Amino acid sequence: MRLLDWIVLVTSLVSIIAYGLYRSRGSNTVDRYLLAGRSMPWYAMALSIMATQASAITFISTTGQSYVDGMRFVQFYFGLPIAMIIICATAVPLFHRAKVYTAYEYLEKRFDGKTRALASLIFLCQRGLSAGLTIYAPALVLSVILGWPEHLTTFLMGATVITYTVLGGIKAVTWSDVQQMCIIFLGLVVSLITVIVLLPKTVTFGDAVFLAGAAGRLNAVTTTFNWNDRFNIWSGLFGGTFLFLSYFGCDQSQVQRYLTGRSISQSRLGLLFNAVAKIPMQFFILFIGAMVFVFYLFIQPPLLFQHAELARIQPHAEFQPLADNYNQGFERRRQATLALVEAHHQGDRAAEQRQTAQYHAAQQEIDQARTQAARLVERSGGEKGFSDTNYIFLSFVTKYLPAGIVGLVIAVIFAATMSASSGEINSLATVTIVDIYRRHVQRGRSDHHYVLASRWATLFWGVYAVVFAGWGKRLGPLIVAVNVVGSLFYGSLLGCFVLAFGFRKVGGTATFVGMLAGEAAIFSAFLFTNISWLWYNVLGCAVVVGTALAITYLGPANAAPAAAAIEGTPQPG
Amino acid sequence: MSDRPQDPDEPPPFLGTWRRVYTAILIYLCLIIGGFYLFTRAYR
Repeated sequence: MRLLDWIVLVTSLVSIIAYGLYRSRGSNTVDRYLLAGRSMPWYAMALSIMATQASAITFISTTGQSYVDGMRFVQFYFGLPIAMIIICATAVPLFHRAKVYTAYEYLEKRFDGKTRALASLIFLCQRGLSAGLTIYAPALVLSVILGWPEHLTTFLMGATVITYTVLGGIKAVTWSDVQQMCIIFLGLVVSLITVIVLLPKTVTFGDAVFLAGAAGRLNAVTTTFNWNDRFNIWSGLFGGTFLFLSYFGCDQSQVQRYLTGRSISQSRLGLLFNAVAKIPMQFFILFIGAMVFVFYLFIQPPLLFQHAELARIQPHAEFQPLADNYNQGFERRRQATLALVEAHHQGDRAAEQRQTAQYHAAQQEIDQARTQAARLVERSGGEKGFSDTNYIFLSFVTKYLPAGIVGLVIAVIFAATMSASSGEINSLATVTIVDIYRRHVQRGRSDHHYVLASRWATLFWGVYAVVFAGWGKRLGPLIVAVNVVGSLFYGSLLGCFVLAFGFRKVGGTATFVGMLAGEAAIFSAFLFTNISWLWYNVLGCAVVVGTALAITYLGPANAAPAAAAIEGTPQPG
Repeated sequence: MSDRPQDPDEPPPFLGTWRRVYTAILIYLCLIIGGFYLFTRAYR
């Protein structure tokens, strides 16, 4: 980090906080503090939804993912537009007209108190676990890349987020998200331009795209079906639809974004903007990763991108032969790449095929050396299942990007972390106050009391996230599992809302039992099968709906519930 | 506790009805998947 990088980084962060706090003036009632007085325009909601979803680790991982596995990760988002349309047609008008603060508050109006309590607890468990991870993962990567102490990066991110989230409430969160997304967009565009400019003079942009394709890095669509494969068109369309339905329809961290809309129409536009923009944005990020891969076809990358681990295994006896194999593999790959570009320029198809085969043979040698190095890291006391994917992009940025751009990209990482984390903390506080505190602990207190309680709850969840992030390293490989744990709860929440919106006759008890059965089914799939986690949402939702319908229509108390009679509760038409 | 305004279900600012907007987005999704498929085939 040079002086110019520091100026860019500090200016970005200070302006984000200052602007967020400036726009949040007057957040002195519960309605304004938690829902911005339902005054937000669609574009602010749209960017806030996008910013909350795109955490820093998504940004860092996505480029790395493309580097090692190509662009097929983009298929994961194919279900998003479908999910957005379903949510716009069902959840948005129902939540708006029910005048709720949280998605789970609606469940009490539709079912009963115990269903609301169970859904709220599931959300608090799931989102509470990931709140720490949202800060921990990028803090860890930044500390390794920049050489800063891990606790410093964690504290810097956590303190910044807590400051503006506690003081400004959701308005500060939303307007900060807008700025953060602008910085992220700018950082992405500048990164791509810089990568292309850094390519050798003899390699045109067209050549770079051709090489990325020949290397198998432009595999945006895979039509082969496989239950265990996370990223193909089928898991994206079906599993992805259910995942995004769960996320945008049942997760308060997202629902709260569009509840702030000044009308149903504005909330719908905010969501539909994401339906249109999200896939191209992910494609763009993945494309940057593919271009970084092409860059490293000409400039030798390190054997491992995690420099600390690389330095640790270097004295090991097995290291030198590994490094020699890697160096030879790289040189062979570079020669094959240059010959491939030449054949491509001359339009010689036969030579292209020959050189592509040689390229792939050399790539295998490189992959083998990298795999062996990763195993060496594990054997010499490193992390189990070690992978350096998350370090690829930032390692490239800090080594090759010019002064100022590095600061901008680091600001992007900070911005993405803060936007995702502030949304989580804010929604956790909202559920804690609205669904637990105001409902079960202190009923009928003044508005001022609940605003104050909301600020304290925000502070609590912020500190909790920072402390959890601080313990991240001690948790070791468990921290990886936490990411999967998040997906263990969505299916049953989704099933619950499908019943609420689509099945008038199903009552609270049937839904409650259905949710428990759904959780049992998801945990069974997690523990005893290899089914990709993208399918857990489909499974959980199906079991909840099936069980609740069976209880309603086949059970002894085969009677319609009282939900439809609840005053003011809208029913789907 | 609430000073929120009413929530009128306004028509979208373009295409006239929400149903048409949703249909346009589904067509857009089909086009984008088709485009990505052609992109994959062109550069493999």
